[in-house]
Amino acid sequence: MKKNTILFTMITFLLIGIITIGSSFSDNDFAIDQENNPLTAPHFDENESKAAFDKMMTVLEHKRCVNCHPSGAIPRQGEDSHLHNFDVKRGEAGQGLAAYSCNTCHSDQNNDYSGVPGAPHWSLAPEEMAWEGKTRIEIATQMMDSKRNGGRSHEDIMHHLTEHELVLWAWNPGVDAEGNPREKPPVPKDEYIQAVKQWIELGAVIPSE
Amino acid sequence: MTDQNSKNKPKSKSRRSFLIKGGIGTLGLMALGTYVFRNPMRRKMYEMTETLVVPYSGTGTQANLWIEFTKDNTVVLHSPKVEMGQGTFTGLAQILADELDVNINQITVKAAETATGIVDGMSTGGSLSIAQLWQPLREMAATMREFVKSEGAKKMGVDVSSITTANGILTSGTQTLEYAGALEGVTEFNLPSTPELRPLKEYKSVGKPIKRIDLRPKIVGDPIFGMDAEMPNMLHAAVIRPEHIGSKLKHADISEAEKMPGVVRILEYDDWIGVIANSFAEALAAKNKIKTDWDIPKVWSEETLRDYLRVGQGDKMITQKSGAPLDPDGDGVVSMEFSSPIGAHAQLEPNGAVAHVTDGKATVILSTQVIGATQKQVAEALGFDMENVNIVGTYLGGGFGRRLNTSHAVKAAIMSREIGQPVKYFFTRKEEFQNDTFRPPTHHFMRGKMNDNGQLSALEHHYASGDVAINALIMPSVMTSVLGTDVGAMRGGNIMYANLERRRAVQWHKTLPFATSFWRSLGLLANTFAIESFIDEMALNAGRNPVDFRLSMLGTDEHQSRIRKVIEVAAEKAGYKEGASGNRAMGFAASIDAGAPCAQVVEVSVEGDTIKVEKVICAFDCGLAVNPDQVRAQCEGSIIMGISAVLHEKMTIKEGRLYPINYGAYDMALMKNSPRVIDIHLIQGVDHPLPVGEPPLGPIGAAIGNAVRRITGKRLTDLPMKLD
Amino acid sequence: MKVSFNINGEQKTVEVSDGNSPLLWAIRDGVGLKGTKFGCGKAACGACTIHVDGNAVRSCSFPVRMAEGKEITTIEGLSNDGVLHPVQQAWMDEVVPQCGYCQPGFMMATAAMLDKIPNPTDEDIDNNIINVCRCGTYYRMRKAIHRAAELNTKKNNSESTQ
Repeated sequence: MKKNTILFTMITFLLIGIITIGSSFSDNDFAIDQENNPLTAPHFDENESKAAFDKMMTVLEHKRCVNCHPSGAIPRQGEDSHLHNFDVKRGEAGQGLAAYSCNTCHSDQNNDYSGVPGAPHWSLAPEEMAWEGKTRIEIATQMMDSKRNGGRSHEDIMHHLTEHELVLWAWNPGVDAEGNPREKPPVPKDEYIQAVKQWIELGAVIPSE
Repeated sequence: MTDQNSKNKPKSKSRRSFLIKGGIGTLGLMALGTYVFRNPMRRKMYEMTETLVVPYSGTGTQANLWIEFTKDNTVVLHSPKVEMGQGTFTGLAQILADELDVNINQITVKAAETATGIVDGMSTGGSLSIAQLWQPLREMAATMREFVKSEGAKKMGVDVSSITTANGILTSGTQTLEYAGALEGVTEFNLPSTPELRPLKEYKSVGKPIKRIDLRPKIVGDPIFGMDAEMPNMLHAAVIRPEHIGSKLKHADISEAEKMPGVVRILEYDDWIGVIANSFAEALAAKNKIKTDWDIPKVWSEETLRDYLRVGQGDKMITQKSGAPLDPDGDGVVSMEFSSPIGAHAQLEPNGAVAHVTDGKATVILSTQVIGATQKQVAEALGFDMENVNIVGTYLGGGFGRRLNTSHAVKAAIMSREIGQPVKYFFTRKEEFQNDTFRPPTHHFMRGKMNDNGQLSALEHHYASGDVAINALIMPSVMTSVLGTDVGAMRGGNIMYANLERRRAVQWHKTLPFATSFWRSLGLLANTFAIESFIDEMALNAGRNPVDFRLSMLGTDEHQSRIRKVIEVAAEKAGYKEGASGNRAMGFAASIDAGAPCAQVVEVSVEGDTIKVEKVICAFDCGLAVNPDQVRAQCEGSIIMGISAVLHEKMTIKEGRLYPINYGAYDMALMKNSPRVIDIHLIQGVDHPLPVGEPPLGPIGAAIGNAVRRITGKRLTDLPMKLD
Repeated sequence: MKVSFNINGEQKTVEVSDGNSPLLWAIRDGVGLKGTKFGCGKAACGACTIHVDGNAVRSCSFPVRMAEGKEITTIEGLSNDGVLHPVQQAWMDEVVPQCGYCQPGFMMATAAMLDKIPNPTDEDIDNNIINVCRCGTYYRMRKAIHRAAELNTKKNNSESTQ
C-alpha cells in the first residue's frame, strides 16, 4: 500500500506537472543552467514561448489527457468524453474502489482483445488537478500552483511530461471495443516533447490570454 | 430399469401417454378448416390467445420416457422444457415428487435431448412451462407410481392395495422395497391407466418455497451451460456476420488471417465466414485480420426507421372493438402519443453451439429455447433425417426470447462437417448486440373521452409494431395468415377494463429491415406503458384517485374480479397516497397478461434529472404458485428488467448499424438502480398454475411514469423515460 | 509462450501463441475451469471476474503473460475443501441465482469487496458491485452481500478466538 502511495504521488506529479514561475525563480532545486535562464537568455522570445505553450496545451487539453483529469468523481471516456461506463468512481487514491479498481480492467498496456486501454500506473489525476471544463490558461495556472502540484521542480516535471509512459500513452492509445483506433493528440509526439522542453526552458511563462 | 446413462428407449411399449390437447398447432388447423374468418370471430380468437394457457404439445409423451429410474434409487426427469433461470426444473421436481412419492432430493431434472424422443412441439417460452406441464406431469407421475407399486407387489408377494409409498420406498406391513428394487429387471413398461390425482391439500412439496434444485451447481461454478460444453478433439471458431442492416458479403480478403497462429481453416459462405482455430483467442485474432467488403443496399437511420414505423402505416387489424370509433377531432376527445425503442436481449451467455457431424450423424450441444425447431433446422441444412440429428440442450445463461431461434446451430454443424472434427463457436458481444432478434420499436396513439359523470366512457389504443410473432420460427405461418395480426405484438394491447361504453384497439404491423422477435413479455411492456399512462392522465384530468378511477372501469365477471383484486391489494398494501411529497411520489398501474393480472405501486424519487425507483409493491394473481419463492424471484426479476427497459435501455440505428455494441454503453439497470424494497403479494385466483415469468413486466413502466408525473408535472411518453 | 501460475492452490502451466491474449481463455480452455464466464470480452459485464493476488480482475481484459507467477483464485477455488465461502453460503441462503451465468463474477467481486470493506453499506455495494445481471437478481444479491458480511465476521471472530 505504501509503495502504491509513493507511486501514485509520482504519477500525479507526472500528470500535472509544472511548478509556477513565481516559485521557480526562487526555488533552489530548480537547476537549469544560467545560459538557459529566461531572464538572462539572450534569445528569449515571447512569441516563441507562447507558440510552444500553445502546442503543449493543445495536447494537454486533448481528451486523451482530460478524460482522466475529470472534475467529478467519475472519469470520462471515449472520443465524446462521456462519463465512464458504469459510473466507475475515482476512489480515495484515484485508483478506483475496493472491488472495482482501475486495474480490475486496465493493465500495463493496451488490450487489443478487449479494447481496454492500458499503460503502467493507469489511474486518475486527483480532484484538485481536474482539467475537465477548464481553459488552457486555467489548466496551466493550476499546474503551476505549487499548492496543487506538490511543489515539483521544472526539470523533474519536464522529464515526466515528456518521458513518462502514462503521458506518452496518448500517442499509442490503442483500439476501442470495436477495434477502431483511438484518436491521438493533434500534435505529433516529438513536436509536443520539443514544445514542452522549449516552453520550460524559456521560463514556463503562461501567456495572459 | 436402466442405469444412470442409458434411457428408456422411445420404442418401448406404452399404453399410457397423456393426451395431447391441441395447442397452437391445433388452433392453426382448426382455423384452416374455416379459412375465411369474419372479424368478430378473429377477435374472439385474439381474446383466447390472450387468456388461454396453450396446452403442451410435443412428441414422446409416454411417462416412462420422461421419468427414468436409476439403480441408486433416484429419478431423472427428462424435461421437454429447459431451465433458463425461471425455476422450472425446481417446480417440475416438486410436482413430480408429490405424485410419484419420492423425495425432492432424489430427483434430477435434465433437458431432454431430442434422442430421447421427447421433443417440445413449440418452445420453452411464454412463461408456460409449469402451467403447461402441471396436468400431464402429475398424470405421468401418478401413473408411474402405480406401475412401480404393481411391479413391487409382484416382487414382495403382496397385494398391491397393501402397499404405501413415500420417499421412493414401497412399504407393505413390515416389508419395504426401494423403487429401484421394484423395477429391477423390468424391461416392458406396460403402464396402467392414470389414477385419480391427489387433492391439492395433500401435496407436501407443491406450494412450498423450497430452494432451487440447481442452486449449488450455480454457486460453485459447475460447467452446466452451453458455453461450457466440450467434445473430444474440439476446435474453436469465430464467425464474421453482417454488421449493416440488410448487407451482403461481397468480398473477403483472408490472406493475412490464414497466416495467423493456430488457424486451421477459414470457410467462406454467402453471408458468413467461419474461422476455425486451435483456440478461441486464436480464432478471434485471425478473424480480426480478415478484410471484408459489404454490399449495403440501403443505409438505415433512426429517423428513417421512425418514419417507417408509425400508427397509420402498414397492415391494419382491429384487435378489439366495442362501440363506434372516436372522432380524433371530436369534442372532448383527448389524444396522446407514446413510443418505445428497439430493445436488446442482452442475455449474459452469448449464443453459440458445439457440433460434431460425422458418419451421417450430427450432435449439437447448445443453449436453446427451441430444441425441436433447432433439430429441424440442422437436419434440413445438412440434408439429414431428423433421427440422425441429436440436439442436446443445456442450462441457459438467460433466454428472454433470444433463443427462440437458434439457427446458429447450423453454422457450427456446417463447420464441423467441413473440418471433420467437433467445432465450438459463439457470438462475440458485438455480434450479439448487432445481430440480436430485437424487441421491435413501437408507436402508440391513445384516445379517450370522459362522460358527464367524470367517468371514462371511451378508450382507444392504436399501436404500431414490428414483428414479434409474425415470421417467428415457432409460429405456424398459417396462424398469422388466418388471424391476420401479430399476436405477440398484441400482448397487453387490448384494453382490459370492461366497464367502458366504447373500447377499441387497432394494430398496425410492419416487418422491419432487421430481425425483431420475442423479448420477455412481448408487446405487454410498451402497450401497458401507453395504456396505463394515458388512463392515469385521464384520472388526473378528472381530479380522481387513479386507483378508484380504475376500479370504476372494471366489470363484475370472474376475470374482471381477479383484476379488481390485485388492484385493491396493491393499493392497500402500499397505502397508496395521491400526490408528491417533496421529490417523492407513488405511481400506480395494472395489467393482465396470459390470464394473470398484476398491479404495482412504485415509490419514485427524482434528484436532478435522475429518476430512482425506491420501492415497488406488487400484487400478482398467478393462480397456484407451485414454488412461491421462485414466483417471487420472477416478480423481482421482471420488475428489475422492466425498470432497466423503461428507464435505461435503447438501441439506436447509426449509419445502417445497430448500436451500442456492449454493456455499459447499452445502459441497463445495475445494482444501484435496483429498488431497495420489493414487496410481492401473491394471490391465488384460480387453483392451477398460471404463467409467471412475464406478466409482472406489464405495470412497471406506467407506474414509474405516473409517479414522475406527480413529482415533476411532466408526462413522459417515450421509453426509455428521461428527464432533461 | 508458456505461462505458469498458481490457480486455486495448484501450479499450472499453459501454452499460448499470444501473451497478450486474455487470461480468461487460458483458465477456461487451458486449465479447463469453466466457472469463470465469458460475457462480453470487453471488461464490461464482470462475468469473468477472478482474483489475482487477492484483487478483483476481469480476466477477459487481463493479458495472460501478466499472470506469470501470480496467485489466481476462481469461483471453483473460492470454497475450501467443499466448505462454501461465506459469500457462496449467503448466496445459497438467499437463493440468489436465476439463470446463474453472471453469478460467479458477482460472487468473486463481492468476496474481493468484503476483504477490504468487511461491513459494506448499501452505498458501498452500489459503488463496488457494478457487474451486469440480466435476470435482475440484484435485489436478492444485496441481501446476500449483507448476509455474507455477517457470516464472514462471525467466521473471522471464531477463527481469531480459536
